[in-house]
Amino acid sequence: MKVTWKDIGTVPNANEFLDVVLNRTQRKTPTVIRPGFKISRIRAFYMRKVRYTADGFTEKLQDIVDSFPRLDDIHPFHQDLLNTLYDRDHYKIALSQLSMAKHLIDQVSRDYVRLLKFGQSLFQCKQLKRAAMGRMATIVKRLKDPLLYLEQVRQHLGRLPAIDPNTRTLVICGYPNVGKSSFLKSITRADVDVQPYAFTTKSLYVGHFDYKYLRYQAIDTPGILDHPLEEMNTIEMQSITAIAHLRSCILYFMDLSEQCGFSVEAQVHLYHSIKPLFANKTVMVIINKIDAMRPEDLDENRRAMLDTITAEGNVEIMQLSCHLETNLMEVRNAACEKLLAARVEQKLKGTKVNDVLNKIHLAVPMVPRDGVDRSPFIPEAVKSMKKYDPNDPERRKLSRDVEAENGGAGVYNINLRDKYMLEKDEWKNDIIPELLDGKNVYDFLDPEIGSKLQALEEEEERLEAEGFYDSEDDDIFETEEDADIRMKAAWIREKKKLIQNENRSRKSLRNRAIIPRSKVRKTLSQMEAHLDSIHVDHTEVTERARGRAAEEKAYEASIDEGGVDTIMREAARSRSRGPAESTANEIQSSRFDAGLGTKSLRAKADRIEKMHRRERNRLGRAGEADRHVADTKPKHLFAGKRGIGKTSRR
Amino acid sequence: MAVRAQFENSNEIGVFSTLTNSYSLVAVGASENFYSVLEAELGDVIPICHTTIGGTRIIGRLTAGNRRGLLVPTSTTDQELQHLRNSLPDSVRIQRVEERLSALGNVICCNDYVALVHPDIERETEELISDVLGVEVFRQTIADNVLVGSYCALSNQGGIVHPKTSIQDQDELSSLLQVPLVAGSINRGSAVVGAGMVVNDWLAVAGLDTTASELSVVESIFKLQDAQQGAITGSLRDTLIETYT
Repeated sequence: MKVTWKDIGTVPNANEFLDVVLNRTQRKTPTVIRPGFKISRIRAFYMRKVRYTADGFTEKLQDIVDSFPRLDDIHPFHQDLLNTLYDRDHYKIALSQLSMAKHLIDQVSRDYVRLLKFGQSLFQCKQLKRAAMGRMATIVKRLKDPLLYLEQVRQHLGRLPAIDPNTRTLVICGYPNVGKSSFLKSITRADVDVQPYAFTTKSLYVGHFDYKYLRYQAIDTPGILDHPLEEMNTIEMQSITAIAHLRSCILYFMDLSEQCGFSVEAQVHLYHSIKPLFANKTVMVIINKIDAMRPEDLDENRRAMLDTITAEGNVEIMQLSCHLETNLMEVRNAACEKLLAARVEQKLKGTKVNDVLNKIHLAVPMVPRDGVDRSPFIPEAVKSMKKYDPNDPERRKLSRDVEAENGGAGVYNINLRDKYMLEKDEWKNDIIPELLDGKNVYDFLDPEIGSKLQALEEEEERLEAEGFYDSEDDDIFETEEDADIRMKAAWIREKKKLIQNENRSRKSLRNRAIIPRSKVRKTLSQMEAHLDSIHVDHTEVTERARGRAAEEKAYEASIDEGGVDTIMREAARSRSRGPAESTANEIQSSRFDAGLGTKSLRAKADRIEKMHRRERNRLGRAGEADRHVADTKPKHLFAGKRGIGKTSRR
Repeated sequence: MAVRAQFENSNEIGVFSTLTNSYSLVAVGASENFYSVLEAELGDVIPICHTTIGGTRIIGRLTAGNRRGLLVPTSTTDQELQHLRNSLPDSVRIQRVEERLSALGNVICCNDYVALVHPDIERETEELISDVLGVEVFRQTIADNVLVGSYCALSNQGGIVHPKTSIQDQDELSSLLQVPLVAGSINRGSAVVGAGMVVNDWLAVAGLDTTASELSVVESIFKLQDAQQGAITGSLRDTLIETYT
């Protein structure tokens, strides 16, 4: 969630706003128009101007509205703080006025664009545009006050301290002049103004400090006087907001010496009246200025009053003196501890903590796995080593220092061989070739490498000869059963493979057409074989098929002898076979000649077609699709007295 | 002692360096800044060696070692091997390992007594690890990650594992390793603890982004500067709950 609003853009005042937008329209839209232009062009020109201006206004207004925080989207603390500082209603109204203006400008632009569509002349269109812009300007001018207000809010908002409402927070509160700011100043690095008069602090101040590896924020609030909430002023209400909304540890500061100008009674009374705000928070009462007055030194009455605070449990009283700087850190630490404990307790109730349980678990080996000693290995030298201190003049010279002396990084090159541990130091920088006589030097670092390799090879040969590597189960006799299983397995594998191949070839059609089963040609012998394999009697079927084939042959023979026109023969044949097979073999007639009995009829039809086309061609005009070559050498550019290169043809 | 450092603007210290109880390896960088951080902390106690492995600077991920030995991948050149041999004390055995998973630092996580390795590592490598490094070898995963070297930082005193390791897994691993373990992150929430830091029995170096609470966990689990491991469940507990939720 956002906690600072430093990045809101400047809000211009009404006049600047107008200037910016109108200027932009002038700059970014065409400016030249003549009465001689086509009316559609003139209308488009002015419509564009109106639309562009309206867009400019709405865009800018929308930007402003969006850049300010929406009160409903931010943390209740910030909501309330903004309410006390800028007045919620005022703020919302200002923003809503802006968005209303945006809406109105939109409407104006729409209306005038509609009117412009019916503009009859340049003058009329221009007047409509003027009217539209005038109305928009009036709307914007009316935003003078909200824009001014928003600019002020922006400036103030940017300067608010970044208070994160969800983090660990200490809120310091109490009567004016009891030493709240000086406490903040002494526990954090916040630069708070400390003065010896009431209401030095007029707004919230934040300081940060670390405790137990965690970052805390301490908030210094303006002093509160003891009167009802309705009568409190803006300054006091800021304190109340911080106390009420931040899940924090409240440090209620008291000054028993009454140097602040308020009696102990008043201070105790204030505590009781704002106590309802402390619900669900950890509270500590801090007695400040113990150098002037300690609680032990109080008279009976006041003591009793002070005791009413601690009467209900959970409130701790601590003492400190900012003046003498006594007890400061103790108070701070105690407050942090209390806050941390409360926050952790609350978190442990939630479900989120389940994700971190494994991170706060220390897995310790329960029982030793074996008797092995696994103690850490820390050389003695570590314990006696002097800690490196960069400010020590006697410090160790690091290689970084050497580098800096020799020209710094990128210039100085370290010698990697400097720290070699060799028998003789002068060997360090000896050059060793990588390759010598065509051999890699490092392969021969070991002087006996050759003999070692030979020994290994000999051992290997010996082992091989002795049959160390021969597997033992080669010569075991197979039982008959095993052989049978093996054979069957082979048969099954082969069959599987065949099926697989068949399926694969069936599936891999690529671009070939699928032949339907009914169209796949099968020879009679194939059919016979198949029926045989599934043990079906097929004598009847085969006989019928044989009979048909014989018939067909006889028919064909008779036709060949007779010499009837081939087409006729084919047609007759297809008819005899039935409609399903007829289409493939028929000769198609030409559509061009369809419906025309003779050749002369065709010629006549052509003539008539031509006659009809003639009239159409006569009326035909050059269109944009026709090729057109404009004048290649326009006379006005080439005739008359003209210097060379003075004019160029556009 | 736990310190923060950066290697050339990278927080992944464990990628560019290796630290053991008897030597330290550092990648050759553009400047000596990172080297000097180690130099200042280690003094002359153990040698710190500038090196590359196979010409690369990611030596922390490519090598695995402890007090007794150092394993380097096949990509290590003969010259680099010789350089290492010359720079490290003779008590450290150096061995080139023919292993398909050549980023040995990612697949091996070891201290001076125990090593966790990637489950798919070859048998020969496993034997080499136990011979050269003198450790017991266990094939394990950490929070279902096979790269045990990346997700675990281990010393003889303790170890940090991947932040999502379940309590049960932690207990199991800790009884295997026989050191206390804790799940934690490094470098402001990074889960690759092995690559984000290097550690031995008296020094830990973490990335510069490491938060104060992460560093305090590191200090206590590795017992650096007299920190106690019990602090993680004791005085650090509240801080950890606050930072993680």
